[in-house]
Amino acid sequence: MSSIFFMILQVIAIILVAPFFDGVARVLRARLQSRKGPPDFLQTYRDISKLFKRGRTVPKCSHWVFRYGPYTLFGIGAALLAVMPITYGAGTIAGYASDIFVIIYISAMLRYIFGIASIDSGNPFAGVGGSREQMLAVFVEPVMMTSLLVVMLLAQTSNLAEIREMVQQGEIGYHIPAFAVASISFLWAMYVESGRNPYDLAEAEQELQEGVLGEYCGADFGLAHAGLILKQFAMIGMFLTIFEPWSFENPFLALLVFILKAGIFYVAAVFIDNFGPRYKLLTSFRSNALAALGISFVSLVLYIVGA
Amino acid sequence: MTHVYLLYLIGCVVSLLLYKQNKIAAKVGFSISAVASGYGIFYFLMNLSGTDSFSLGENLLYNPTFSLDPLGNFFSFVVTLIAFASSVYAIQYTEEYAKKGSLAVMAALFNSFILAMLLVLSASDVFWFMICWELMTIISAFLICFNDSKASLKAIMVYLGIAHFGGMCIMAAFLLMANQSGSLEFSSFASVEMGPVLGSVIFLLAFIGFGSKAGMFPFHVWLPKAHPAAPTNVSALMSGVMIKVALFGIIKFCLWLPVMEWWGLLIIIIGALSSLLGVLYALIQHDYKSLLAYHSVENIGIILLGLGTGVYGIAINSPTLATIGFLAGLYHTVNHAIFKGLLFLGAGSVLHATHTREIEELGGLAKKMPYTAFAMFIGVMGIAALPPLNGFVSEWFTYQGMMQGALGEGILPRFIFTFSVVALAVTGVLVVIHLKLYAIIFAGTPRDMKIWNAAKEVPFTMIFGMMFLVAGTFVFGIGASVVTDNIMSVVTSFSGSYNAVPAGVLIASPIGSTISLPIVAMVISGAMTLPFIIAVILKANRTKPRETDPWACGFKYTSRMQITAGPFTGDLRRLMNWLFRSDQSVVEQDGYFGPVKYTDNPKDIWWNIFYQPVINFTEKAADKIGCMQNGSTNMYSLYILGTLCLFLGISYIL
Repeated sequence: MSSIFFMILQVIAIILVAPFFDGVARVLRARLQSRKGPPDFLQTYRDISKLFKRGRTVPKCSHWVFRYGPYTLFGIGAALLAVMPITYGAGTIAGYASDIFVIIYISAMLRYIFGIASIDSGNPFAGVGGSREQMLAVFVEPVMMTSLLVVMLLAQTSNLAEIREMVQQGEIGYHIPAFAVASISFLWAMYVESGRNPYDLAEAEQELQEGVLGEYCGADFGLAHAGLILKQFAMIGMFLTIFEPWSFENPFLALLVFILKAGIFYVAAVFIDNFGPRYKLLTSFRSNALAALGISFVSLVLYIVGA
Repeated sequence: MTHVYLLYLIGCVVSLLLYKQNKIAAKVGFSISAVASGYGIFYFLMNLSGTDSFSLGENLLYNPTFSLDPLGNFFSFVVTLIAFASSVYAIQYTEEYAKKGSLAVMAALFNSFILAMLLVLSASDVFWFMICWELMTIISAFLICFNDSKASLKAIMVYLGIAHFGGMCIMAAFLLMANQSGSLEFSSFASVEMGPVLGSVIFLLAFIGFGSKAGMFPFHVWLPKAHPAAPTNVSALMSGVMIKVALFGIIKFCLWLPVMEWWGLLIIIIGALSSLLGVLYALIQHDYKSLLAYHSVENIGIILLGLGTGVYGIAINSPTLATIGFLAGLYHTVNHAIFKGLLFLGAGSVLHATHTREIEELGGLAKKMPYTAFAMFIGVMGIAALPPLNGFVSEWFTYQGMMQGALGEGILPRFIFTFSVVALAVTGVLVVIHLKLYAIIFAGTPRDMKIWNAAKEVPFTMIFGMMFLVAGTFVFGIGASVVTDNIMSVVTSFSGSYNAVPAGVLIASPIGSTISLPIVAMVISGAMTLPFIIAVILKANRTKPRETDPWACGFKYTSRMQITAGPFTGDLRRLMNWLFRSDQSVVEQDGYFGPVKYTDNPKDIWWNIFYQPVINFTEKAADKIGCMQNGSTNMYSLYILGTLCLFLGISYIL
């Protein structure tokens, strides 16, 4: 049962800490752009708590999918974090929920709710944003799945907790070429999934990914926003669990290390997303995705020929 | 099993006897089939791993027996499960057909359709199998006729044409088998010995024959034509169950024949192609019922991926691989039956309330039809394989099976298995885009106020039918360990075995992945309550939100601003246009500033590649041969005489 406790602990801890790293990233981004930016690293906390006090409006036409959308988005973000085996290991009760396919399909659930909420809002931009979100997945998912498939085949299991332990103990790892190549393409997929420039921008203009956020306000908006930050953390967490799993045995220390590592990744991504324009979906994005798909296929072929 | 069959027979006869009392006949007829199906569900579930048989009396030419083995029991269970939901649904749904045709006949045909499917599953010799198989086809074609229109007549012709071709292949496969074993009884087929070439020919014939009925690529074109044309309760049965009966045939043949490796790989390749192409074509449909029919193509593909893994496992003598493959295939069979039945019933409710199949005219119906909306929401979630619903479990098994296949030696199998996994993953992504099926119909603002105002929630039995299947999606998802246990008892009867349910609520694959669906469900539902707790702790402003129009950049909002089904998948269509070859034509252009009207009809390119030439050739040939049909009886006698002589000559030479 203790694993369930740790699962809850890790979710709550990350929920509490994630806005801090978002604040750090915002300050850093502002400095890079020669703006003044937020006064300190706590701005995201202040934003969310302010939003929670505001009143709300909803489109007349919307029904329960839109109205409870932020709650489900946040819930799915939290569920994604919960199934990352950070503080618990394989063979525990919580470990039986930590499966790569569970993670992939839970993030599909996020897209599902997101898409329906977009259309439900009736907002013309939200619909386009919802559609774009689906197309992003069409480009990213093959890359992600191919890279993960290589890892799963090498580990001969789809249980994420077991895979993490295997990598930690060196049974599989960078000494296998397929694994090394897969890490490159998975890093790309993870970066895109976390909704950053040049592929997407979480606080972007309305016609992009966050179209539907334009229709939320008050606590709804705060929750939806926090939910998307959680999803970014979960995606980074997935990369860390498989390709950079070094940590302590002690669950509390492991959690601490994880938060630091994920935070560094989260903040460091600013250095990429700050430069360069946003890609158009069917031109530059597509060619980019094809390159990543090529890399992932290389790793798959390396596996197939037994290298 | 005779009780179940007899009940359907009684339903058939009683509804015909009530021919004069049209409405009562429908109520009684469909109620009897509901009772029969309800009884059948329990009967087949209780006797899942048993065998049962009865014989049809001595006084016929020979002594035909009908017997059910565990595999037959399983498929019978699937048939009765969907038949129950769709019979209950039909009790009130069919009222709108009272003016179009005789409900008594419809109820009778409906009962006999289910009976024919059950008899196909239990037939144990070639003669009765083929009789029931053709009966099943013909009765379903009759049932499509209730929606009498030019389009449905064309659909029936296409359907019967492909079914005929398929029937021919199956018959040929059976006769070749019988020739080898020396008997028409299925029991003699099991131990038949034959060379690899003959075996492959029989396999290909059976695969094409049954596959055309199952709707696998490239024989899928009849599904999106025939399934939408039928009344909804029949579409649900056709799409949910009838195509599964064809899969039963494929499994049977693969168990009889000396299996070879490339058969399994072929099934997997066809499965991957069907799933990808099915979902891609489904995405661009505007008619929500044909959208669902294309989805059946996709899901048949996923089932074939599982079955192909199983067949490959038999071929390479790896019982665990065979077991996981068949487990995945059978699990997805029942799952697909449940959510496709659910989606078709939901689509039927929408059709019942709005009388249009054009997705672009609907919108905002969730406010008018909350129960139907909920059912469709769950249905689309199920088909998108979102955890913890049922679709996820079977896709998980399918992934595990194919991964195990990819672990084996040999470049080619590895190549095929890994790329099929990727194909399945891409299919999974694309299926999620089917949220538009729900969203365009039920969410947003109404696109046609007249339709929206007239719409109202459907009557009770229709809701009950849908909710029964909604419960099914949850039970077969969260209760995965129990279901797996039961399906394993079926699979072990003809294949190997492994410990699929290691303990309690866990399910496992042979390579060692273990997962627990109740825990996944708990994690998700627990995480979903978190934001509510946070909102309470942070004392969020929970006053009732103000209702406004959506934001439209300062313009006055109209419902024409919102996105429609076409543009939602527009990027994908542009990406995949080589596959759709949509013919866009501007119909009307009224000056520079006036609105441009245009049509944009994406097409199934395979129709032009495979079917149009055949149809053209047939028409031309019919023209030429037509001169033989000159109306003179003497000439016809001559033809008969000539044919007789010809066959005598052939038999003399042979």
